Amino acid sequence: MKDRVALVASGALLLYVIAMTALVPLGPGLIALEPVEATPLQRFEVVGLGTHFAGQTTQTRVFVGQPGAVWEWRVLEARDNSRLLVEAVWPEKLKSKSLDVFVYHPTDGTLLLENALHVDHLPVDAATAFPPLSQPIPSGDGLGLHFPFQPQIFESIRNLLWHVPMWFTMFLLAGIGFVASIRQLGSNRLLPADGQAEAASRVALFFGLLGLITGSIWARFTWGTWWVDDPQLNGALVTVLVYGGYSVLRASLEDAMLRARLASAYNLFAFVILVILLLILPRFSESLHPGKGGNPGFNAYDLDSTLRLVFYPAVVGWGLLGWVLYRLGLRMDLVTRWMESLDPPLDPGPSTTPNSPLP
Amino acid sequence: MKLLSILFLQATPMEAVFFGSGKAWVVLAVGATILLGLVGWIWRAQIRLKELEQRMKSMDAEQTKP
Repeated sequence: MKDRVALVASGALLLYVIAMTALVPLGPGLIALEPVEATPLQRFEVVGLGTHFAGQTTQTRVFVGQPGAVWEWRVLEARDNSRLLVEAVWPEKLKSKSLDVFVYHPTDGTLLLENALHVDHLPVDAATAFPPLSQPIPSGDGLGLHFPFQPQIFESIRNLLWHVPMWFTMFLLAGIGFVASIRQLGSNRLLPADGQAEAASRVALFFGLLGLITGSIWARFTWGTWWVDDPQLNGALVTVLVYGGYSVLRASLEDAMLRARLASAYNLFAFVILVILLLILPRFSESLHPGKGGNPGFNAYDLDSTLRLVFYPAVVGWGLLGWVLYRLGLRMDLVTRWMESLDPPLDPGPSTTPNSPLP
Repeated sequence: MKLLSILFLQATPMEAVFFGSGKAWVVLAVGATILLGLVGWIWRAQIRLKELEQRMKSMDAEQTKP
């Protein structure tokens, strides 16, 4: 009964996650400041993604500069929702050659593009400061539910709802296997814990593979390649291989007691390696991966309220599905062993077909 | 209201392609079909397992009778 409740709950949560992943739009952001060819340094186009520049142009304001030295450019027209034509206004000197661009739009709110423009034609004085803006900048309030805009990541931020929960689920199941292996090692008899460790590690391996696949696809879209030589990525691969080795070890041993003891000892090391390679080592070395090697994690900047609305249900939903698969595997192993022990073997029943989930 | 605001905010070309052409709904439909198929498969497996577990228990009980 509990298994069915968990299955229905996981199905409902994951259905919600799929719907939100597909339907919630990406929030607006800036992706470039492009000079207009005929009038370099005088007219620019601010290029946005997911923006709504075509509406409320008169209330749209554009600022450039660095913190403490920001001034305003004139908005000429919105060419479409993602392109805003602006006229540059230059001060006598700059605080820095590198300028950020800020756009305020009544619907999109305040958008920032860091280091949007490099300027060489004006003198630089680090002590330059401009008076504060004469009019306060209200916050945008016209935008509905949306995922946060992040440079480089763009629409692929939706993958956060799939990739990260896979690893959480793997940790959950690897933890179950770890505890079961400890229980088995503490006994001289063959315990059900050995079967629990086997079933949990098998599903953990499955979710680890899904984590690798979703991560590799994400890397292709944000880093430009399927795989990079990164401690987090290599650690994840090694971890999955170690759990694959657990299955090979079990399959290679005939004696049940010997298999239980060796596999349990191996599983303890596998879990420790999982923690070291995925949680500890990447934090002490440079890594492209968010949350590792000095990179801020999504939690710091990107896991805003909309993402949390979907991310937490995704974690619970995938975790429940992992639990259901673990329980299913455990029960199937038990029944299969019992059926094989019968002489003659039990006919599983008329409704069993070649495609049946049962042997 | 939030759902309505989601649906009416699709404005840029990328959003227009994804949402305007109905591809978001296709993604949703495909994902939901796969998920429901998986849930249905597990549900059916659980029912079959329950039957076999009951047979296992009854046969074990018969064997242990004095």
